Amino acid sequence: MRIRFALPLLSLLLAAGPAAAQVKLLNVSYDPTRELYQDVNAAFAKAWKAKGGQTVTVQQSHGGSGKQARSVIDGLEADVVTLALAYDVDAVANSGLIAKNWMTRLPNNSAPYTSTVVFLVRKGNPKKIKDWEDLVRPGVSVISANPKTSGGARWNYLAAWGFALKKYGSEAKAKEFVTRLYKNVPVLDSGARGSTVTFVERGIGDVLIAWENEALIAVRELGDKGEFQIVAPSVSILAEPSVAVVDKMAAKHKTTQVAKAYLDFLYTPEGQEIAARHYYRPRNQNVVAKYAQQFPKVALFTIDEVFGGWTKAQKTHFADGGLFDQIYGAGQ
Amino acid sequence: MRYAVIMLSLALLALPAARAQEASQEPPAETAQEEAQEPVQPPTVEERLDELDQKIRVLDRKTEIDKEAAAEKAKTAGQATAGKDGFSVKSADGNFVLKLRGYTHFDGRFFQSDDQRPATDTFTLRRVRPIFEGTVYKIFDFRIMPDFGGGQTVLQDAYIEGRFNPAFRVRGGKFKPPVGFERLQSATEILFVERAFPTNLVPNRDLGVQISGDFSGGVASYAVGLFNGVPDGGSADGDTNDDKDYAARIFFQPFVKAGGPLKNLGFGVSGSTGKQEGTLAAPGLPAFRTPAQQTFFSYRADGTAPNTVIADGDRTRLSPQGYFYTGPFGLLAEYVASKQAVRRGAAAQDLEHTAWQVAANWVLTGGEASYRSVNPKKVFDPAAHTWGAFELAARYHKQELDEDTFPTYANIASSASAAEAWAVGFNWYFNKNLRLMLDYEDTSFEGGAATGDREDEKIVFSRFQIAF
Repeated sequence: MRIRFALPLLSLLLAAGPAAAQVKLLNVSYDPTRELYQDVNAAFAKAWKAKGGQTVTVQQSHGGSGKQARSVIDGLEADVVTLALAYDVDAVANSGLIAKNWMTRLPNNSAPYTSTVVFLVRKGNPKKIKDWEDLVRPGVSVISANPKTSGGARWNYLAAWGFALKKYGSEAKAKEFVTRLYKNVPVLDSGARGSTVTFVERGIGDVLIAWENEALIAVRELGDKGEFQIVAPSVSILAEPSVAVVDKMAAKHKTTQVAKAYLDFLYTPEGQEIAARHYYRPRNQNVVAKYAQQFPKVALFTIDEVFGGWTKAQKTHFADGGLFDQIYGAGQ
Repeated sequence: MRYAVIMLSLALLALPAARAQEASQEPPAETAQEEAQEPVQPPTVEERLDELDQKIRVLDRKTEIDKEAAAEKAKTAGQATAGKDGFSVKSADGNFVLKLRGYTHFDGRFFQSDDQRPATDTFTLRRVRPIFEGTVYKIFDFRIMPDFGGGQTVLQDAYIEGRFNPAFRVRGGKFKPPVGFERLQSATEILFVERAFPTNLVPNRDLGVQISGDFSGGVASYAVGLFNGVPDGGSADGDTNDDKDYAARIFFQPFVKAGGPLKNLGFGVSGSTGKQEGTLAAPGLPAFRTPAQQTFFSYRADGTAPNTVIADGDRTRLSPQGYFYTGPFGLLAEYVASKQAVRRGAAAQDLEHTAWQVAANWVLTGGEASYRSVNPKKVFDPAAHTWGAFELAARYHKQELDEDTFPTYANIASSASAAEAWAVGFNWYFNKNLRLMLDYEDTSFEGGAATGDREDEKIVFSRFQIAF
């Protein structure tokens, strides 16, 4: 009896063996992080293999942060999400896929790196863009993505609003300012990478309101040398892209342990180094010091300080019928 | 006084500063306006060209973005279509498909001779059948077909089928068992308005499970099933006993892949075996009808044990069948033998009834003959002087009751011992979806009347068919 069952059992174990040595993760991320996670994934796979012998393959999905969150809610089986803003991760959490306490599970409110919003202008800065006020001048064409779909564009919008609020002192004046800004936006891409393509590759616009990392990539790696230059505004917003394990899917795929380790890797010195190399502002102070010269000096405010947090900002500005809908309709 | 002058001077000095501070707290609208009020140099040609270039680039980029958005939407958007094969809705990933099809038969029956057995000339909705078909996850099909013909509601088909392999499909539910050749044709494909006598002896619809498949692209086909079991020509939605019927069919089209003049030659054999046990209330035995749907044979049944014939044991059917189609010509033949053990009181007998038919058709214009009906090469379009396809048909068919049936199990004065019929028909296919049919059928009988033979049934059929 025992011998009769031993052989099939042994076969099952042998079959399970190779399957256990390999694991796949799906990382659903926002638009401009393609190059970052290409390097992160390779480094993590190497580290994980060295640690336990298991081969991990991380597949990527990229798009506007809001759209990506919606995709995960609608069934895209992500093991982890690495999105542009905490609000989008909260949206996934509210669908039941991520634990509600996700933000506290990792350091720095689950934001392993930060970024901000700067201006990318053409060589010689022909339209003499110095600060936010120059973006509302007649004849200045501004490129930014659609805040309804792009996390980066929401940061852009809030940065402009925050500037105007500080400068002119009232919500009404800030709305007027942002309305005039979006009147100067001829094309709204769905994601931050799309707006970079519009500005850099399609040659449209005088100034791109960009993720800092996108601007640095454009200056150093895209186009001819010196074709673009960065203008740091007087004040901008501290953008904190957030990461989380999608608990329900990771449990279903039995990848919870690897998914957690993957996000933990972003906080390691090696992970922080990779982030900095891709022009994201690291959290690790040693790496910050090493790359200090890379990042322009900008006075930064947080979303909590100016807008009372993402939930309030989303409801006021980006919900259907919110201020952006009023602004963009008026601006057009 | 001196104090007032000092205060006034201070106020005058403070005024410009106050104005400057106020100006710095406003959005730079005034600055822009002031700038606009300065004399503006007209744009140079180069500046105008740059502006035009930017406008063109913006338009191109917007088109590009719209296309990307449309492509993204198409990935998740379902697709709805409507055409000659009906209406369908399909999910973007192709995993869910729903089709709405159906057909309606609007018939006319006009008896040419009904002196002895008056029958009513009538128009009738013979069949009104919406069909809900679909596929989930690409290999699981379902079909639900109710029928509202004659003002009644009957569930004709309701089954699910898994298509795991061309040679292996599993079906479960209510559907046609694989026995009758003409019965297996859709009602939209049959040559005449009503099926021939062999269909009287085979199951109509039954509940069961079936395995079927094709080999070598249809060179050989098989079907094997387990069913509740129904009387000849019958349908049921449940069983009256624990015994089940086995049904099987094998069919060959040896030249279907090779092509040539024998490409559309097909032949095979089907059969079923089981047990049927009737009761006084539900004898489990058939009655047989003419093409005009008039009953010409029924077993004795008055509800009493001595005078009611019931099914009482084994039932087997055997049916060799075949067809041949070449160009506009077609030939179909079918033979059925059905044997049923019956009992009336103390008397018991195995009775074997037989039926056969030969039918031929000739597509006069615009199409090829086929077991699956005619698809006109050119649809009916008077403006283009195209008329669809015309077809002539003829058949001869006969049903014979076992001679041991009479007089014990049936009354020869009311039930005929044989019926034979010849028919000619004309079919006009307007297109794949619309057909007009006109048949004349003449049926004669042996027995079935108090004296001599039942009156011949001579009838003109008409049918307007819409199917999609």
